[in-house]
Amino acid sequence: MIDLKFHRVSKKYRIQRDLSPGATRTPFSGLRGLTGKYGDFWALKDVSFQVTRGETLGIIGPNGAGKSTILKLLSKITVPTSGEIMINGRLSALIEVGSGFHPELTGVENIYLSGSILGMRRREISDNLDSIIDFAGVRQFIDTPVKRYSSGMYVRLGFSIAAHLQPDVLLLDEVLAVGDEAFQAKCYDRILELKDRGTTIVFISHDLDAVEFLCDRALLLSNGEIASGGLPGDVIRRYQQESNSERLTGPKTYERGGARNPIRITRLTFLDDQEREVLHAFTGGPLIARVEFAATEPLGDLDFEVFYYSQDGKLHCQFSTSLGADAINVDRGEGALQFSCAELGLQPGVYYADATIERRTDGQEIDWQYRSALLRVEPGKRASGSFYVPHQWRITQQKDAAARAPYFVARHYSCEEPETTNDDSNLPEPVAEWDLIRLDNPRCASEQ
Amino acid sequence: MATRLTSNAIADVVLPAEARRVTVIRSPSQSRFSIINSVFELARYRDLLYTLTMHRIKVRYKQSILGVSWAILQPVSMMIIFTTVFSLIARMPSDGVPYAIFAYVALLPWNSFSSSVTNATGGLVSHSQLVTKVYFPREILPISYVLAAQVDFLIASIVLASLMVYYRVPLTANALYAIPIIVVLIAFSLSIALICSATQVRFRDIGMATPLLLQLWMFATPIVYPTSAVPSRLRYVHLVNPMSPIIENFRQVILFAAAPDFASLGRSMLISGILLIASYMYFKRVEVTMADVI
Repeated sequence: MIDLKFHRVSKKYRIQRDLSPGATRTPFSGLRGLTGKYGDFWALKDVSFQVTRGETLGIIGPNGAGKSTILKLLSKITVPTSGEIMINGRLSALIEVGSGFHPELTGVENIYLSGSILGMRRREISDNLDSIIDFAGVRQFIDTPVKRYSSGMYVRLGFSIAAHLQPDVLLLDEVLAVGDEAFQAKCYDRILELKDRGTTIVFISHDLDAVEFLCDRALLLSNGEIASGGLPGDVIRRYQQESNSERLTGPKTYERGGARNPIRITRLTFLDDQEREVLHAFTGGPLIARVEFAATEPLGDLDFEVFYYSQDGKLHCQFSTSLGADAINVDRGEGALQFSCAELGLQPGVYYADATIERRTDGQEIDWQYRSALLRVEPGKRASGSFYVPHQWRITQQKDAAARAPYFVARHYSCEEPETTNDDSNLPEPVAEWDLIRLDNPRCASEQ
Repeated sequence: MATRLTSNAIADVVLPAEARRVTVIRSPSQSRFSIINSVFELARYRDLLYTLTMHRIKVRYKQSILGVSWAILQPVSMMIIFTTVFSLIARMPSDGVPYAIFAYVALLPWNSFSSSVTNATGGLVSHSQLVTKVYFPREILPISYVLAAQVDFLIASIVLASLMVYYRVPLTANALYAIPIIVVLIAFSLSIALICSATQVRFRDIGMATPLLLQLWMFATPIVYPTSAVPSRLRYVHLVNPMSPIIENFRQVILFAAAPDFASLGRSMLISGILLIASYMYFKRVEVTMADVI
């Protein structure tokens, strides 16, 4: 049973060519717009795909690939230029939360307003009202105008309304990035619940992890066409490969003053501990980042850096030679600088990397490769929290003092005896297992 | 599934087993436009229309001290101004009834028309957030403004009733003709609202022009003066202006307890009906690209 079908769909937008932002607007210059020059931009070119009942399809791709056009076409906001779209059943779009909220109206009034806009019947809303309020956790403020809500409450209420839609086909945008972690977990649960019940889902996102987690199948869009399709893991890998090879030739190369740089970064790659090129690493696993460069003259006083950003643009960590006492000197010609990290602290996810070369004395960037590679970090060593820290442990225990152990253990750690220090250099193995150290040190024991 | 449900879980209300409706979206050049389908779709969204109309009414007077009294204050103050200027100063004839009630009775339908058009014109653009994010039949936005204006009409009618009691104007069965007259008024307001709001999406000039045009239009309509005072060489204005028979006849059935002039009312009805269909077709034509150009 096919629930959704795109048959040779194309979408053309008309874009105005000749009005540059600085152009003066003379009286009646608007009239030129009626006859003036327009260019055609094909946001989608001959796209065909179908989704069977109960399937979750992920659509990924770089910005401008046509993802939002598909979203708009499916939600009937705009129409195709040619081709045909078939939707079997009630389609609801879980897109931008809080659409249609009016600040002056109370929570309840906004539930009715936003719910109706999303296509719910008034009866449906009344039947679900309590559930919507509880899901959002705003019962106390439900008769307060929403302009007095915190942004968190606003977003939760918006999502809660949308989450109560009972669609046959669900359209998901980047909505999962709302609220705190507890609320996000609730949202995921709701989506999984709809999925369990056999709802057909189309998930359009930048969030590759979420796509891999939720979807049965994925499509990669590129320049308005389907570049590949298949299992989410495979498609995501292909996407990363493509973007890694394209990124360095991309337009966002940073050049100082337009002059030719004396040194340029030619490539940024990641290697595993066997020095094989990889696209992914593991949390807590080894990682080597290799910055290849070409210098047209001998240069000194340099620092190399690699920055890791998550997909929301947040800087997570960096590799930097500025930690060393000496600046880097290079000779004329090509070369490479390798950073190696024994245990990567990044949590699973997809990260963008920037590579830069700068002068140490004034911090001036000589070359800056913006978002020049994608690194996927897969689950390795499991750690809760925002990052993994390399750590080791030992356990110490007093003979027949087990009942009072917590106190003594704490005290004993403070003893400066070789057996009980936690100085790494004395440890025989990087800890995959733990040592039990018996405490028979008389000095420590005497402190009791 | 049950294990994942917490106390916060969403209780699924079982809807009557409805057959799935298959939607096919094609390019506008390939799909046949059907006004009947559009009307049916609009009917499916009646809950949204209801909610949005109530929303307009609620929001308009929220956080204002006088609240709903504004619906009364506006026509009453206009009546006072017109009475002062045109009756006390300019000695305008008013067909033998007190000028205040003569002007007020005409101001009610006019204000309904004028606020329908003014509010609806900006209605789509001010909801561009919605228009680019969610689908619903876009005509719901202008229609909700037109309907909300009728509520103001109703509220302001309370003052009309009091004025009639005060001036001892008798009400007869002929006043019931007001109902078809108001239907024609709504149809006409709706047509103009649809045209203006759809065009405003593309050309913001409409929003600037409407207040000016409405002002001119008001003086081209027998509101502050009776039709009998119009010199015969200017009567043609009255013939081409569909608002004239609406206002004239409304005044006639309420104030003069007479039957309406069926010829002029019929003409107005015909124009409004044709215009409504034409404007709805125009609106639906423009609707498909609204989200792209708004």
